[in-house]
Amino acid sequence: MDALNYFAMSWLSPELLALTALGTFLGIYVGAIPGLSVTMAVSILISFTFSWDVNNALCLMVGVYMGGVYGGSRTAILLNIPGAPSAIATALDGYPLAKKGLAGEAIGLSTVMSVVGGFIGILVLALAAPSIADFAITFQPRDYMMLGILGIMLVGSLSGSSLAKGIFAGAFGLLIGTVGLDPMTADERFTFGIIELWDGINPVAVMIGLFGISEALHQLQHMDKAVIKQKISRIIPRLSDVKKYLPLSVRTSFIGVIVGALPGTGGDIAALMAYDHAKRSTKEPDVAFGEGAKEGLIAPESANNAAVGGAYIPMLTLGIPGDAVTAVFIGALFIHGLNPGPLLMVEQPHMFWFTVGNLTLANIFILIFGLTGIKLFSKIVECPKGILIPLIFLLSIVGAYAINNAITDVWWMLAFGVFGYFMRLYGFPVGPVILGVILSALTDENWRRAILTERGSVIDLFAHMFTSPLSVVLLMTIVLILVTKTPLWSKVIKPKCFPNAS
Amino acid sequence: MSSHEPTPKTRKPGERLFTFLLVIGSVYLFWQAYQIAGFSDLSSAGAFPMATAATMILAACFIFVNTLKRPTSQNTSFFTHCFPPIVAMIMALILVYAVVLESLGFILSSFVFLFITIQFLYRRRMLTTLAISLFSLIMVYIVFRLIFQVVLPEGIVPERDIIASITALWR
Repeated sequence: MDALNYFAMSWLSPELLALTALGTFLGIYVGAIPGLSVTMAVSILISFTFSWDVNNALCLMVGVYMGGVYGGSRTAILLNIPGAPSAIATALDGYPLAKKGLAGEAIGLSTVMSVVGGFIGILVLALAAPSIADFAITFQPRDYMMLGILGIMLVGSLSGSSLAKGIFAGAFGLLIGTVGLDPMTADERFTFGIIELWDGINPVAVMIGLFGISEALHQLQHMDKAVIKQKISRIIPRLSDVKKYLPLSVRTSFIGVIVGALPGTGGDIAALMAYDHAKRSTKEPDVAFGEGAKEGLIAPESANNAAVGGAYIPMLTLGIPGDAVTAVFIGALFIHGLNPGPLLMVEQPHMFWFTVGNLTLANIFILIFGLTGIKLFSKIVECPKGILIPLIFLLSIVGAYAINNAITDVWWMLAFGVFGYFMRLYGFPVGPVILGVILSALTDENWRRAILTERGSVIDLFAHMFTSPLSVVLLMTIVLILVTKTPLWSKVIKPKCFPNAS
Repeated sequence: MSSHEPTPKTRKPGERLFTFLLVIGSVYLFWQAYQIAGFSDLSSAGAFPMATAATMILAACFIFVNTLKRPTSQNTSFFTHCFPPIVAMIMALILVYAVVLESLGFILSSFVFLFITIQFLYRRRMLTTLAISLFSLIMVYIVFRLIFQVVLPEGIVPERDIIASITALWR
């Protein structure tokens, strides 16, 4: 009964309801406007909302997250420019549909199926998270340490062209996270004798720098892209279409939840896997894939919204972010004094049910905003980059200043912005950096706890790992990721074991 | 996954220097990490930073060597493809903006910043730019300063007095 009470909290309070609606609305536009990303928006929002009541801040940010994942599909369909990485697969069949004059229908159908996917994701979160949290309480410090490393490695290996660059970025993030006074022994770490560094580098400043400034700087190079207007007809999809594609939508939603729940993988990969599944499972599509098949539109849209619910599972139960957006979210929870992890469910079960209720609410708002306001939408999306980019800079700087009313944070933000620009330029992923910053304390503390319980013996640590099935699985996964990315694997083992694989 | 960018065959201008600087930076950070507690104890405050810095050195060396192996790409130069003047110019503008933000205050510095950057990037008539930057500044001010109650640097514009007199007019 308590759970239901907390679930309905954001539904019954007019203030929270309005903030969720506002967040979802903003999220749809942020997701849709190429050049604005959800990660960027949530990073900037953290700094502006951090003096707020935690519930209000969460409502706004949950809305932005949920809306943003959906919003990317709009521009993918209308302009063939995915507004967000998770909409890359949507453009493959969505844009051909729009070219046939079916843009309205495509938007309507993708809205309904996004909402279906969103609900399935939330349902799985509500059912699975409590038992996973119970299980997570039995985790040893070494398991947490390995989970932290695993998360960074997965993001590192999936988000860029080279694993070495991903690992470098992740390790760099971990190192940034250790700057300041050590929480256990109060030793100074990387402070260079500067007292301002005792509190460490503010993670929000790092986030805004890497996702706000550096991304906007990068976009200065692609300023002029012609916008092709599409005619938008009816938006409300036909009931027969919804019925026909519902089974596919449900199937791909489950793919989305599972991929979203894995640490390191998020909506973009879920969407591509779902597209692949749709392509293989649809024997006789009415229209060929890539030329405007509705299956190819529905599958990624269901999956990427389902992945949101999935991504919340490791975030709330283990405190491990699944991707860059959830890493930013965990940063927000920390700032509001919440400690995501297995104890969150025990100590503050209301937070969990509040979040579930809030996600559900945001999902309903997607349906409402998704099927209305298309005229306004096409106006705003055409906002030229020459105006948009200066505004991103403005908000980034003001946002960084607003965290602590200190100009120091602005300097850090700018430094990471410039460094991030060069990282992007030379093909380094920036996601692992932020994941590293967020996971640094968790990995460091659990490493030290683990090694202390073994009385400083690394051999004992490894020996005891093999007594717990969970530790073995985690260790094996880490080793597997490393091995499959080395030349030894691609040149020696793979040709022998999988001679048929391409 | 098809979302991956394929590994480029050639190296971009400046890439060699950047990756080399990463190696040097990693080594310096490792030395700093060593200064925390040395090799005294695996559970010391310095153990984890040293492990991460060591990982950075390994990864950076690997990247550096790989970069050296690739041939330089033709027809690209650092200042047109990697660090064009527009990026340098905007970076400098942001820097100036950050420097004067506290002394000039949010309103004045932001307005000048918006006006110059929009004029520079959007390239319309002066008056259009003026209108756009004024409008967006007012929107930002209303949303963040008045609704979200974010504290912004006041500087030389007597902002509070102005707001107070406006609200006084209302009553």
